[in-house]
Amino acid sequence: MTLLKAYLQGLRNGWFVLGYTLCVCLTLFITAPFLMIALRSVGKGWFGRLWLPPQLTWDWYRWAIEVGNIPEVMKNTLIIGVIAVAVSTVIGIFAGWAFGRRQLPGKELLMAIVLLPRMIPPITYALGVAKIFYTLELVDTYLGVAMAHVSVCAPYAILVLSATFEGLDERVLEAASVCGANTIKRFFYVVLPLIMPGILASMIFSFTHSYNEFTLTLLTYGPHTVTLPVRTYLAVGDGYWEITSAMAVIMVVPSLVILAMIQRRAKPETLVGGFKGV
Amino acid sequence: MADAMIEFRDVTKRYGNLVANDHLTLTIRRGELMTLLGPSGCGKTTALRCLTGMNRPDEGRIYLDGKDVTDIPTHQRELGMVFQNFALFPHMSVADNVGFPLMIRNLPKDEQAKLVAEALRLIRLEGYAAQYPRHLSGGQQQRVGLARALVYRPKVLLLDEPLSNLDAKLREEMRFEIKEVVTRLGITAMYVTHDQAEALALSDRVAIMNRGRLEQLGTPEEIYETPNSRFVAEFIGLSNFLEGRVAALDGPVMRVAASGLTIQTPSLPDVAPGRKVLLFLRPNEIELLPAGAALESNTFPAKVEKATYLGDTMDYRLTLGEGAELRVQADARHRYHPGDSVHLRWPRVRSWVVTE
Repeated sequence: MTLLKAYLQGLRNGWFVLGYTLCVCLTLFITAPFLMIALRSVGKGWFGRLWLPPQLTWDWYRWAIEVGNIPEVMKNTLIIGVIAVAVSTVIGIFAGWAFGRRQLPGKELLMAIVLLPRMIPPITYALGVAKIFYTLELVDTYLGVAMAHVSVCAPYAILVLSATFEGLDERVLEAASVCGANTIKRFFYVVLPLIMPGILASMIFSFTHSYNEFTLTLLTYGPHTVTLPVRTYLAVGDGYWEITSAMAVIMVVPSLVILAMIQRRAKPETLVGGFKGV
Repeated sequence: MADAMIEFRDVTKRYGNLVANDHLTLTIRRGELMTLLGPSGCGKTTALRCLTGMNRPDEGRIYLDGKDVTDIPTHQRELGMVFQNFALFPHMSVADNVGFPLMIRNLPKDEQAKLVAEALRLIRLEGYAAQYPRHLSGGQQQRVGLARALVYRPKVLLLDEPLSNLDAKLREEMRFEIKEVVTRLGITAMYVTHDQAEALALSDRVAIMNRGRLEQLGTPEEIYETPNSRFVAEFIGLSNFLEGRVAALDGPVMRVAASGLTIQTPSLPDVAPGRKVLLFLRPNEIELLPAGAALESNTFPAKVEKATYLGDTMDYRLTLGEGAELRVQADARHRYHPGDSVHLRWPRVRSWVVTE
């Protein structure tokens, strides 16, 4: 009996070890490309079947910055990101208020259409956007590229903020009125602080989406509005793998900073749900 | 009325076809604690929301301290209110919650601090000023709610089922605490609840509402001892009902024929023999006697159908006369069992009659 128990115990431990091993392998599989890119961006004379680069150098970063014009490209990316975040957040606040606080006619249909750009293949949607933007002469302008990004950022903002407004307790607002607060004071002292986590979450979502956006940018950018993902892609076409790797590493840095900020500052559930009263 | 603080004058509020308040007229005197009591859907919450300005009545006017406030927005009505779910501001500390009405009114900082400290002392939460509501227990949160409602000395205090989110023991403690604070400050208060025990324990007067109308208004004693309708008698405490007709009138004594018995009751003004009446009897006013005792006046033979032990009392279901059912709660020291024949007796003045 005890033998059987020990056997079963061993079996269970066996499954546990197997699961754990698989998990570790997956982690390696996911992180390996990052390591590869990081190594390649500093390696020199790394050809053939060598496992590690024979020499290390910062040259590729210098090349990326000087030849690849990264500071300019980074500036474009950030300006477009800020415009996209601003527009999406404003849309998100108003639409989120409407969706979250009221039963609107056709709410489900509207929501489905708003989410459509995320559901269909991005290239399909981007082709349509490109056609319209060429007609409107919005191609190769900050506003144009940013507006293309808004089509994917705003739905996230609306989703996050309507959840936030839904979580806002009506009676807390009534309490503020009874306490003597008029509409404006109520908004600034009660509503705004309570929806702030939701606004921040929606801004972070919007920014990362704009920052990473590739397909829509590819079809709406021009010489003046090259963004980081597009610049990196073009460098791949030029065939300079080391410089491309350096660009890819530079591109990852802001994402990692944002990730670290989120991890440190807030739990996702408080960001998305806002406060649900007490 | 000169000493009226809150007045509902002929207030009607409809939601579509539903009439939530049906020509409600009610006056709450200065310094009085009035309870609006009724089952859910009786219109008590609608009346409260009309008073706070969150609902606008379709007809009628509402006066606060002699002033017509029907068209004045909520934030200008100078009210204090305690909410069922506490409705504290989750992003503010206890002190900021309590000080919110003062901050909104732009009082000088030092005066704000003084009043907040005073209010926190009133509810015995001095040490919690820097805490956030989520760190407090339900009872403490509700006391913060009370302090926030009282801190700027509003004209009236409104309490919307303030105890129903608390557990039973805490509810009783808070009941006394609210009563004490309200009495000490001498503030006019309107208390909305569906809990008759709260209403009886707290109120100077109770207004019982039913289907949007005022059913009865009176002191807790009046509504408990002399309910003026079957609804009130059923809602407040336990009651037995016997339907009958007036058989004879004899000065203060009236004889009512019900279920084949002739029962003596207090007299009603302006009734003639033959009039249909409803007789109420509280289960704890009826005395159980062993069968065989001499039949005095208002004593009737009955049969025990069910007996339930409740600790300090026994709860009996009995039948008497031509099958009328009565519920009696009696001392548990003398036990009767199902099937026993007994006599029931009650003082004439402890029964109550209304015309139907």
